Formats: sequence, structure tokens, C-alpha cells
Amino acid sequence: MASSVAQKRLFHEYKNLSTNPPEGITAGPVSEDDMFYWEALIEGPGDTPFEGGVFAAELKFPKDYPLSPPTMKFVGGGVWHPNVYPNGTVCISILHPPGDDPNHYEHASERWSPIQSVEKILISVMSMLAEPNDESPANVEAAKMWRERRSEYEQKVRDEVRKGLGL
Amino acid sequence: MHDDEPSLNIPSILTLAVVSFFVLRWFFNRDEGPSAGGRPRGRGIAVDPAQVEQISQMFPQLSTRDIMWDLQRNGGSVAATTERILTGRGLETPPPSFQPPIMIPSTNAQTSQATRIVSASKGGEQDLISRYNLSEKVGADSTAEFTPGAASKSAWSQNKEERQRLLQKRRDEMILAARRKMMQKDQGNTR
Repeated sequence: MASSVAQKRLFHEYKNLSTNPPEGITAGPVSEDDMFYWEALIEGPGDTPFEGGVFAAELKFPKDYPLSPPTMKFVGGGVWHPNVYPNGTVCISILHPPGDDPNHYEHASERWSPIQSVEKILISVMSMLAEPNDESPANVEAAKMWRERRSEYEQKVRDEVRKGLGL
Repeated sequence: MHDDEPSLNIPSILTLAVVSFFVLRWFFNRDEGPSAGGRPRGRGIAVDPAQVEQISQMFPQLSTRDIMWDLQRNGGSVAATTERILTGRGLETPPPSFQPPIMIPSTNAQTSQATRIVSASKGGEQDLISRYNLSEKVGADSTAEFTPGAASKSAWSQNKEERQRLLQKRRDEMILAARRKMMQKDQGNTR
């Protein structure tokens, strides 16, 4: 019962994202046989070192979606970013359930709730790429570099963008 | 002198009131018992306080009483209650006779979420071209046969396989377009 609610909702979101895709975002289930496993492509936001890049990420939805949020993980090449774990897992407030705030710095309104959506997540991740949140670094090394050696950080990101495109 | 033992003093009136209150309540509860919604398991189901908390965190504007009432009536399905709220039907106001069970604060409702993120495997470094098997297409479309803004920008089909194909096409085009753009930029820079 719960999982059919989730499937219906995910299918609906898939349809919306296909018929009316936001700029620079492509997302959908890897196979419709499993609506709980998606893959998304996000374009790097302009005027940032991520500009021109395309980043692939997998989204895994829980059976009780949209009550609980999905998890999101960049795949393929790494994304060198303060809020992305070295293994690619994205750490951003919209992916955190409302009650789960060990650090007490996020507002409930920023966190996951059923009125959010895949589209909102992907747009949030896009703006996260442009503006790292320094308060809770998932990748401490990247955060340090971003804070102290900005040009080195930007160069590293640009290199990875090219590598990701096979150049 | 004054009367020491009146036939009807205040304590005995109070006792009578309390006793008759309980008798009446028992009487009315028994009456409405079998007819309550015709749902055999509607009454007496203990609502899980963790579920109530989960919903009231998502929708802080709703009263806990309404949430409990809805959960109790649908047999404790958070999904059904949420669906009901999201589709705009709203929750019913429970009848005054509805007595929500006492809330016990739940402590371990959310802990399972946090641990889930930790496990992840290191999938080897791989660029998008090899990931999506685009190496052939990379060679093929050297600016020659490229239809900019092809009709596949926003596509939806009633057919499952067709949908899958359209999605894949959009994905491939997005990567190839980014690659082309990057290469053009490179050429511009070296000139």
C-alpha cells in the first residue's frame, strides 16, 4: 500500500520532469521496472568553475517516499565540493528529514517534506554547486581548499569537469 | 442549635454527580460502540505516537487530535493520511467523544535515517562518455549532423519503451552537447 503511493507519486514526478524539464536537468528512472532508482544529469551552473560540466547522480528513493527523502550520490568522476562526500554522496538540507538535525543549524522549512520534489532537490543541488555551505562540510579537504586557496579549488573543479566529459 | 447532619450535604452531592457521570458515559459509549463507522477495527487501535509525530512535523499547522483521529480510522497508515492531506481533502474534525491516547514522546523514530547515509561503495572513476557508451557517438557527430534543440526537449510517450528511449536520448544529447561546447571553447582559446 505505502509503496504503491510512492510509485504513483514518482511516476507523476517523472512525467512532469519529462514534459516540462527545468533548465539543465534531465532525470528519470534507470528502468521503469524499478521506480525507486533514478539517475539524473545536472549541468554545472554558469559563472562558476562547474560551468560547462555535466554531472551524473543516482537517486535512491525509500519505500515510504515522499514521507522520507531520497538519497543522492554523484557517480562517475568525483565532484570536488565542500558539501559532497568523497564517495559522491550529497549532503544538503533538503535531503534531510525534518526531525533529523544533529547540528541544529537548518530550519525545518529547508529540510525534506512531502511537498518537496525531485525537481526541487536537483535545483537545490545546482545552486549548492554554485554556493557551497561552509557550515557543515562533508568533504573537509575540499572545504579547506575552498576557504583558503580558492584559485586552486577552482582549477581542480575545472579539471574534473573536463575529465567528466572525457576530454 | 444548628443541624449537624443534613440529609443532603455537599460531599454526597458531589459523589452522586461523579458516579452518575461515569454511569452515563459508560451508557453512551456502549451505545455508540458497534455503530462507529461500521469498521470493526476502527475503535481501540492504539495510534503509534511516532507516526503522529512524523505527520505533525511535516504539517505543523494540523492539530494532533485531527491526525490521531485520521490515523485511527485508516488503521495507522501514515501514507494514507499524508496522501489525504496533500490531495487537499484535509482531515476531518474528530467527534467530541474521541479520546486520543496519551502521547509518549518517541526518541528513536529518526535515528535509523542517519545511519543509512554512511554506507556507500567507491564506484571507480569513470567519465560520462564511457559510462553511457557514447564513445561511438562522440566520433560520429563532429559538428556535422547535429540538429540543435531537437524536438526531444520535452517528450512524453504513452509507451514504456518509447519513454525509456526518449529519456536516454535526452541524456546522451545533454552530455554530447556539453562536450561539443567545451571543445569549441578550447579551440577558441588556442587560436
